[in-house]
Amino acid sequence: MLTEERQGIEAPEVAARRETVRYLWRRFGIYLFTLWAAFTVAFFVFRMVPGDPMTILLGQLSRAEGQLNPEEAEVVIARYREIFGLDEPLYKQYVVYLGNTFLRGLDFGPSFVAYPTPTRDLIVQRLPWTVGIFTTSVLIAWLAGTGLGALMGWLHRRRMTGLAVALSTLMQITPVYLVALGLIIYVGYVLRWLPPGGPYAAHLQPAWSWEFISSLLLHAVLPMLSVILTLGAGFTLGMRALMVSVLGEDYLTFAKAKGISPLTILRDYAFRNALIPQITGLAIILGATLNGIFIVEVLFQLPGLGTLFVQAMGLRDFNTMQGVVLFSIFAVLTLTLIVDLALPLLDPRIRNTG
Amino acid sequence: MKNTRILIGAIILAAVLAVALGGPVVVENVLFPDESPTSRGSYRPYQLASSEHPIGTDGDGRDGLAVFVASITPSLAIGLIAGLVSTGLGVALGFIAGYAEGRLDTLLRILIDMILVIPTLPLLLMLAVYIERWDLYKLALILGLFGWAFVARVIRPQVQSLRERSYVDLARLSGESTPEIIFLELLPPLLPYIVYVLSLAVVGAMLAEAGLQIIGLGAGGLPTLGFMIAKGFREGVIGVGLLGQMFLPAGALIVVFLGLNLINTGLDQIFNPRLQTTIEGE
Repeated sequence: MLTEERQGIEAPEVAARRETVRYLWRRFGIYLFTLWAAFTVAFFVFRMVPGDPMTILLGQLSRAEGQLNPEEAEVVIARYREIFGLDEPLYKQYVVYLGNTFLRGLDFGPSFVAYPTPTRDLIVQRLPWTVGIFTTSVLIAWLAGTGLGALMGWLHRRRMTGLAVALSTLMQITPVYLVALGLIIYVGYVLRWLPPGGPYAAHLQPAWSWEFISSLLLHAVLPMLSVILTLGAGFTLGMRALMVSVLGEDYLTFAKAKGISPLTILRDYAFRNALIPQITGLAIILGATLNGIFIVEVLFQLPGLGTLFVQAMGLRDFNTMQGVVLFSIFAVLTLTLIVDLALPLLDPRIRNTG
Repeated sequence: MKNTRILIGAIILAAVLAVALGGPVVVENVLFPDESPTSRGSYRPYQLASSEHPIGTDGDGRDGLAVFVASITPSLAIGLIAGLVSTGLGVALGFIAGYAEGRLDTLLRILIDMILVIPTLPLLLMLAVYIERWDLYKLALILGLFGWAFVARVIRPQVQSLRERSYVDLARLSGESTPEIIFLELLPPLLPYIVYVLSLAVVGAMLAEAGLQIIGLGAGGLPTLGFMIAKGFREGVIGVGLLGQMFLPAGALIVVFLGLNLINTGLDQIFNPRLQTTIEGE
């Protein structure tokens, strides 16, 4: 009662701040819930699929160490079941896994194949590749696409713009892996301008030398370019459409009538208003982009998370696969959260509607 | 303007469909009468393009062109079936969320948002490990099950805005039951929009299918365009000089996406009158 009365006489800024805090908490609550739910779904999907990972593992062991006799095999399997906690009832496994993952810093257990290396270590080793390509190309694509799109929206009556829109559309509908294959084949093998695959030149060892770093960067150009081209085309078209629709708004006509210079209108009136949905757009595509980057990694033979997953898949390394899936879900959800939390800073309207 | 886009898109798709359905018949009867160009080992593998084999033969000793035309139908079928599954599910859930108010709506919205942001490829790949024998329907069904969230996400606000219209109130007052309102009043005006969403879903499914084939399913994959590309890449057909075996299936995929995209933007203009007035208004 008291609080309600007080709210009535509160200054508008205080009420607005309260709304913002409410929005932030709500958004964070949804984040935690989504994380837990996605985790649970992924866990049970992994447990429900037919085929016991232990049988597969046994096949691999006997291939690696010669024929095991049945008793020895039993011992080995029992030992492994104990290590991986597979003898426990499902709900207990779930609770243990949940605890290890969230309370012990994303501890996904040991890898089956590379036992006893923890899955987390495998992921951490591969992470710089995926993160490097992901952040660099998403940032470049977003910045370039937003800038180009704003320009194309502003100049949407020029004939050149029509051509640019057609080109961007063609680029956008082409799947990232076809762009990647095209670049590998044409730039890598036919023109031989840039290396068509691999993380760095085969004769080099990782080191802080100019030779190694330049080789690394050269090898990164094509994978990044494939992501930037497709993703950037999408951002360009999105921003263009937003600009065109903002340009039809009355406040722009009014600003023009007041005699404000076109450049100021573009920057302060049109661009800023079109920018907010463009940032929301960034949050929505993060998951799909990660899919694309996994494929690009495999095609370019870069040792990132996507490649780790495909390798683990070939070896039926169940724990590593699960770790990669859960880690990607965690990463995408967290990035989406960050983008969403940054939105109220940019758009006062969201603060008030919550 | 909107009609020409839809028309061109429809013509492109019709042409692809004609090649997909008529191609295998023509190729087998005209180019290779009394032969089986798509059986393994019919010819010497990796032959370069010639008058006999217009885009050469593949690593299994099959005629490239015959394999290509035979690959189009499965690709389209997977896209269509998966698109129908995800559109059906998404429309149903979008209607429930949009029509119901309160807690159910909130719950469904959170579920939809959750599924939307999850990177689906690793999950799909993981399923691929455990499913030993793929068939077309299994793959299409799984892709469909992964694609409904975005359909529900865009249908829900449409239903919400329609529900508030006065003609729906009138129907409610005149005693129509909820199913009647949904199927007689809300669904018909949304049908064109659902077609629009369906074609987006088909594109999504075909994209995912080809991507999955290219990195994941390997030799156990289905004979689709994506599989032909993946196989060509693995066998290094470009190095041998068999460019057609890569560019033809890749080009066919892009052409299908282009056709669907034209139809989509055409339909989008119909649903977004604002887009139109601003384009003409400036």
